[in-house]
Amino acid sequence: MLKAIKHYIEQSWLLIVSSFAFGLLIAITNAAWQPRIEQNKINKLNNLMNELIPNAKYECIMTDVQVDLGKGKIAKSNVYKATAPDGNSAGFCFGAQGAGFADKIELVIAVDAALEKIKGYSVLSSNETPGFGDRIVGDYFRHQFINAPMTNLSLTKKGDDKIIDNNIVAISGATVSSTAVVNIFNNYLDQMKKKINEKKAE
Amino acid sequence: MENKAPSISKVFAAGLWQENPVLRLLLGMCPTLAVTTAVKPALTMGLSVIFVLFCSNIVVSLMRNLLKPHLRILMFTLAIATFVTIADLFLRAFQPEMSAVLGPYVPLIIVNCIIICRAEACASKNGLFISIIDAIGMGIGFTVVLCILGGIRELLATGMIFEIKVMPSFFVPWAAMRMPVGAFITLGLILGLVNFVTGKKT
Repeated sequence: MLKAIKHYIEQSWLLIVSSFAFGLLIAITNAAWQPRIEQNKINKLNNLMNELIPNAKYECIMTDVQVDLGKGKIAKSNVYKATAPDGNSAGFCFGAQGAGFADKIELVIAVDAALEKIKGYSVLSSNETPGFGDRIVGDYFRHQFINAPMTNLSLTKKGDDKIIDNNIVAISGATVSSTAVVNIFNNYLDQMKKKINEKKAE
Repeated sequence: MENKAPSISKVFAAGLWQENPVLRLLLGMCPTLAVTTAVKPALTMGLSVIFVLFCSNIVVSLMRNLLKPHLRILMFTLAIATFVTIADLFLRAFQPEMSAVLGPYVPLIIVNCIIICRAEACASKNGLFISIIDAIGMGIGFTVVLCILGGIRELLATGMIFEIKVMPSFFVPWAAMRMPVGAFITLGLILGLVNFVTGKKT
């Protein structure tokens, strides 16, 4: 028994010692840089929210709000209340996600204080096809959502993108990515409206 | 018979041309094709690979006399994974935008054949100095090719280099150059040119 243990230690001591040493190195690096990484995430979110509702102050009013994405998938999201410089409510922002063409698309969606209109969206992360699907970050597509009603949106392949209503004209050559963004809105708008109204009623 | 130690200049030059990982050994094709949409991500990937190659070659060279044959690949992977994690944390902390652009390709350096190849072919058989020179030569060779590929693709896809407009106003950008097809065509043409120059027939 002792002979076997000695054999195993002889064979694997370098691996065991190295694992501890490398693990310690990663732990130290992670401890040193993790606050900065978290701060970067917060800064990015703040910048995106400021693009959607400029000059507002943001306060997180709900954390880990569960949203049913269908097919048994549940996502968690934080809700931020935007307060205008005059002290009035300027709207709400929340993170949203869904499956895109290549990978998960993560958005920040802003809605007005009355929960009647969409104020817009920004893309937090996406790996959509360069030159096609990645145009969901462009103004042509995003402008169609600004002041659109906070109801079920539908995607059309042809139409006037200047008319602001619940019909969103798809990006030519990127129907899957366009559909993905519209689906994210449709998954989140109703559920978030209910959750925010419940919070308001408290 | 005594093994003749390789000369420093030959070891360094090998990575740049005779044994260039991309042009001659066709290693590391995944990042070569995926992150060369522009010069900046290509350069960042190249510098990350230089860092990982440099550190892993040092560690492998220092422990080469202690390595058990059946555990050596495990030890290489352990060392490489550690330095890749550090590189990934560094980018997320100090270059968050570039980290988002490179996405999963930084963690994927762990399985980059160039690094395992140099650990096995050079660092596990040579002293510290030769291993460091080999890492720098191979790393620079890899980075230069990535930057050339990135430069060609960025120029033709957007008319810009380092996000500075260089093409005349009548130039029509080739969106395909930002897509995988652009990567394959550009790499294929460069490899063909290299083979033509070196007179390689098979």
